[in-house]
Amino acid sequence: MSALLPSAAAAQQGNGLTELLGGLLPDTLPFWALTLVGAVVAFAMVFGFVAVLAMFATWLERKVAGHIQVRYGPMRVGGWHGWAQAIADGVKLLIKEDLVVSAADKPLFKLAPMVVLGTALAAFVALPFGPGAIVADVDVGIFFILAISSITTFGVIMAGWGSNNKWSLYGAMREAAQVASYEIPLGLSLMMPVMYFGSLSLHDAGELQSGWFGMQWYVFSDAFWIAIPSFALFFTAALAETKRAPFDLPESESELVAGFHTEYSGIRFSFFFMEEYAAMYLMSAVGTAFWFGAWNFPGLSLLEGTVLYAPLAVAAFVTKSLLLVFLMMWVRWTVPRIRIDQVMALGYKYLTPLCLLMIFLAASWEWFKATVFGA
Amino acid sequence: MATLQEPAAPANDRSYWGNVWHAVKSTAVGMGITFRYLWAKPFTTQYPDEKLPVDGRYRGIHYLEQDLCIYCQACAKACPVDCIDMGAKRHGKELEWEFFTVDYQKCMFCELCVYPCPKDCIHMGEQYSLVTEDKADFLLELTSWTGLTEEQKVRVAEAEAKKAAKKAAAAKAKAEKAAKEAAEKAAAEAAEAEPPAEPEPPAAEPPAEPEEGKE
Repeated sequence: MSALLPSAAAAQQGNGLTELLGGLLPDTLPFWALTLVGAVVAFAMVFGFVAVLAMFATWLERKVAGHIQVRYGPMRVGGWHGWAQAIADGVKLLIKEDLVVSAADKPLFKLAPMVVLGTALAAFVALPFGPGAIVADVDVGIFFILAISSITTFGVIMAGWGSNNKWSLYGAMREAAQVASYEIPLGLSLMMPVMYFGSLSLHDAGELQSGWFGMQWYVFSDAFWIAIPSFALFFTAALAETKRAPFDLPESESELVAGFHTEYSGIRFSFFFMEEYAAMYLMSAVGTAFWFGAWNFPGLSLLEGTVLYAPLAVAAFVTKSLLLVFLMMWVRWTVPRIRIDQVMALGYKYLTPLCLLMIFLAASWEWFKATVFGA
Repeated sequence: MATLQEPAAPANDRSYWGNVWHAVKSTAVGMGITFRYLWAKPFTTQYPDEKLPVDGRYRGIHYLEQDLCIYCQACAKACPVDCIDMGAKRHGKELEWEFFTVDYQKCMFCELCVYPCPKDCIHMGEQYSLVTEDKADFLLELTSWTGLTEEQKVRVAEAEAKKAAKKAAAAKAKAEKAAKEAAEKAAAEAAEAEPPAEPEPPAAEPPAEPEEGKE
């Protein structure tokens, strides 16, 4: 299993989904038709995953928030600990009136949620879910993900401008100011694992961490003293990228009503909501793939070749990513929101220089290993 | 002229690395605290399923000790919003209850109805919630029964029997007294005229009357 999109490599390896599609579709179909079918199936899978994930994550978020504040959170909808709360909320959002403000810049206003959710979903293309379970194993995977998820910012700025609302515009301005301060350290902090693995592909990173009985993770490697601080830098920048507390300034509901999505209701609002959880999972999955061994766990190599291998690998990857999502929630309900000047100071004065220092140390370490041990 | 001065910035004499260390440490400490609370038992009371105990002095919906109530209307008269209404028929000492209602659309739970009660039979209860879909349902009936109970019926019958017996006894006494008086009168008349041979028959009449009273 390597890639869903038909390619020479995929045809040679013959992974599950391509094989299945290849078996269902006649070989005489032209390349573009196969591509289209593959794209539609891939989109359906990614969208389904993100929708289910967003539902689960909203429920989890409210439960975590509740229990950190020594209360229960949702308890009544659906019976057991309010498990159906997210479904009820989703249905409510779907049947709500779709309002467009009369003074809004209508094309921008309507385009913004699509841009935001579309880019968040597009980034999942280069994200592996398990060994070979990747829509398109792009060689420059992480570069693609960073580039695509940066476009989300433009969606936010479009929403803020298009709403013609002072709160929304403040949110958009803050996002614009914030993006410059965290995108640089976010990109730089990913250089350390990239240098270690020698690849920009998340799938390669996963395969390179499969040694040592499934424990050859970057954080347990010889460069652990680089891996751990670099993960802290990456995670801080990722919190800002996903607009999560303490960097939720574009939204800051205590000052700006709801920030850039103040004027949105119903399904358009839920697009922003889904984007937030999709982006959280995306960043957590990138962190898992590069630092925490992707889908590898002790004992997985024993199962190679069996039916259990792929499902267990995917389950391990998703579980690890969800643990990092939980970490993001935990941070959100611990740390208060910081001011915009503090965000900028953190980005420019602390994260960027520290990332550069870590890159220097990581490069020195690789050079040291190569010259002294000849590895 | 007063000049606008920038407020003094909080003292921060930490070095660059001191700031980094401070940020990492304070976040770690804070997250430790929230993690402890994450596993703490929630403080919430799941209201409709479990309820907090209510203080004994709480002024909730009334309850009435109907067997003590004497239908004196003192509570209804004391009520400032006139929400108490009651109705009963008297059978001597026994009350035949018809209704005792409190209109909770009006009631403001002031407890003024409780104090004037001579029998201490109306109280403010612990029930604080009353939800209905119909305004009429706010008119609550506080009686536990209406009409006469079996005990009351027995007591009323006893009282009536007693009363009838008393009445019969009184009638008998009256008749005896009348007969005596008549006899005395006849005797006096006879003495005035000539001594008659015997008194007149009126003394034979009284036995007929007690039979009537027994019914």
